[in-house]
Amino acid sequence: MSSTRTSPVSPPAGGPQDPVAPAATPPRARRGRLGRAWRRDRFAWALIAPAVVVMVLIHLIPTAGGVLLSFRDVNTFTFARLFGAPWAGLENYRAILFDADNPIHSGVFNAAGNTLVYTVATVAGTLVGGMALALLLNRDFPGQKVVRTLMLTPWVVPSFVVAVLWQFMWQSDVGIVNKILVDYTGLLDERPVWLLGGNSMWAIVIPSIWRGIPLAMLIFLAALQSVPKELHEAAALDGAGAIRRFRSITLPLLRPLIAVQLLFGTIYAAYQFTIPWVMLGSNPGNDADLMMTLIVRQSFSNNLFGIGAAASSLLTIVMLVWVAAWWLAFRRDMEADR
Amino acid sequence: MKGIRSAALTAIAALALATGVGACGSSSDDDGGGSSTAASTTGGGGAGASLRGERVRLWIMNNGPDPVGDTERIVRPFEDRTGVDVDVELVGWDVQFDRIRNAAASGEGPDVTQAGTTQVPFFAALGGFDDLSDKVESIGGEAAYAPGIWGTSQVVGQEGTWGIPWFTEARTVYYRRDVLEKAGVDPRTAFQDWDSFRATLQAIKDRVPEIGGQRIEPFGMPGKKAFDLVHNVMPFVWGAGGAELNDDATRSAINTPEAQQGVEFFADLVADGLADRSMLERDGTQVENQFKGGRLGVWIGGVWVLPSAARKDDDNWVDAARRNVAVAPMPKGPSGEAFTFVGGSNLMLFKNSEHKEAAWALIEYLSQDRVQSEYADLMGMFPSRLAAQEARGEQSPQQGAFFEAIQAGRSYAAIPQWGQIENAYKTRFGTILDMAAGQGGDYSPEAVRKQLDDAAAEADNLLAQSAG
Repeated sequence: MSSTRTSPVSPPAGGPQDPVAPAATPPRARRGRLGRAWRRDRFAWALIAPAVVVMVLIHLIPTAGGVLLSFRDVNTFTFARLFGAPWAGLENYRAILFDADNPIHSGVFNAAGNTLVYTVATVAGTLVGGMALALLLNRDFPGQKVVRTLMLTPWVVPSFVVAVLWQFMWQSDVGIVNKILVDYTGLLDERPVWLLGGNSMWAIVIPSIWRGIPLAMLIFLAALQSVPKELHEAAALDGAGAIRRFRSITLPLLRPLIAVQLLFGTIYAAYQFTIPWVMLGSNPGNDADLMMTLIVRQSFSNNLFGIGAAASSLLTIVMLVWVAAWWLAFRRDMEADR
Repeated sequence: MKGIRSAALTAIAALALATGVGACGSSSDDDGGGSSTAASTTGGGGAGASLRGERVRLWIMNNGPDPVGDTERIVRPFEDRTGVDVDVELVGWDVQFDRIRNAAASGEGPDVTQAGTTQVPFFAALGGFDDLSDKVESIGGEAAYAPGIWGTSQVVGQEGTWGIPWFTEARTVYYRRDVLEKAGVDPRTAFQDWDSFRATLQAIKDRVPEIGGQRIEPFGMPGKKAFDLVHNVMPFVWGAGGAELNDDATRSAINTPEAQQGVEFFADLVADGLADRSMLERDGTQVENQFKGGRLGVWIGGVWVLPSAARKDDDNWVDAARRNVAVAPMPKGPSGEAFTFVGGSNLMLFKNSEHKEAAWALIEYLSQDRVQSEYADLMGMFPSRLAAQEARGEQSPQQGAFFEAIQAGRSYAAIPQWGQIENAYKTRFGTILDMAAGQGGDYSPEAVRKQLDDAAAEADNLLAQSAG
């Protein structure tokens, strides 16, 4: 995602010289340059070395371990052997993807569908809501700073607390949501049940959006404030209305930021665990079971670490595909100014 | 434009951080708060001077209001007499399954641990624990315990005694005397069998919409959020003549007509408006507090709730509920029998312990009748040993009801895969109750059957696991 790509073939006019030599450079000269580069960057390497070591230890090695487990038959009886459990080849993957008789097959597909709905709804809600709030707060009005600070509070509430709070708010009999919808405003005649059945998806989506909006708003707001006022003034003079100016000026300028939030928001939502787990329990039910709740349940509660690892690996592959698609769609926004 | 780009990069950094800090958590939905007590008159650390200076690590779960303090108080006389230093460590119910499993698998753990009764077969299968068969004579062996309770120390189809029952819990019907009186129902016959149980709830619904200004719901039980949902439903399956597994524990029996009848009796209470559907949104503790808070006329709860009514510091109780709480045996089902789930906790000795003699001396001490009674009293649980249970049952008619319930108590097939099968059942029971509440699909016998078939298929899959 570097913004300073350079090409040895045609260096950009006035750009810095490429520190890594073109292919035609003689070997000795290259070694000399590499040596210089090493001497120059030694301090930087020293600074990031601890982070690299930690990442390898707590990230790469466990990830590799997880992938390895996905090829093993880890169950109640083989758990104690863990990495020494019988080799299963692709059996775990086959069970998940193709074995219609295995309840885990339908469970994973159901959870994948739910995760898709949850992710799309959460990311869309967060981005649209964040953008709307940013546009509102970008205007000058008394108390603007106070309001802006207050708007940030949901973001500092840990997911665990968000889930606990909303769980009480959603309760159909005494929760504040139904009190507002039914008792105070009379918008609905019947008290909806939020934490069971189909509505339970919304019971996790809405708090997720609520928690995500402040950060999206903050990022959009920062960007909006760097949009030159003259652009809007000029467009207004040319007769462009507010909607036209938003579509033709604001939106294109915010595109890189939308792209970034789309990327991370999707990854974060697809790996969501805390909110459904805390709010709905270890099995959120058919309507709100997400990939992560399923994986944790099958692995840690049911000792099926092989199946869990295979499902995790599949989810990771899907996310890599998403990142690649995202990169194809938005790479230009992430590259140098054009 | 540059501003936007650098803002984008800043945003990447911020989001990367935010993504990193989100969720984590562990878990197992197994068995949470169990309990149980055992023991009677024997031994108890008579080993004397040879043990002096040894240190025994004991893992306990959050039993009662002050788990570590209470346990330390209980073991102090043992420490004084033997010179053994008992190191009591608390491992929460939310993580104990993982911790004990990992300790057994890795060999890095304490000397003795408490474990939920239904978890014992799984831990035994892991191989990290000692078979105590040749030691149990010194604490009276099988004869000193009610059969259902001793069964929790065994594994089906395998020789060996893997845990010593420590304390026992059972569930039974709780009701409010004032509510029944106002409904015109005689408590002595109110909960005799399924028909009278339903009729009692109907009478409360018809005649007792409120008491003293507080709205009353006839009945309420938690749904899928309760870790112990299966413990609440299975007594009705047993009462209908059904079972969780077939006789030799090789196939699921949860989709038999009898089992379905039991599940439907329970779910019908929700569908027919006799059980408050909003309780299904709560977990077990929250529903318990709804009963204590005076909202429910009838509820099925654990043995520890009764003594809490006498504790002034338990302010979940409202006065009316505190004054009027009473218990009755579980209703008889169509099979003519009544069942309750009996659970609790056992003590297990780690194979890798380097202080086995001292650790066993501690288990012997905790298995004395007197010590069991004292500890159970502190926690509001029942002791596990027969003699201590009898003594507790004689304290009051209410305690007597629990004593009887425990003698007729039943637990699940003692097989290593039970915890996972329980999870599978819990999932489907939760869905059935959701449907009975009008959520997530139409409630009908066919729909219940479909869920139970799915549960059975998943259980059969789990039963087919092997050591490869």
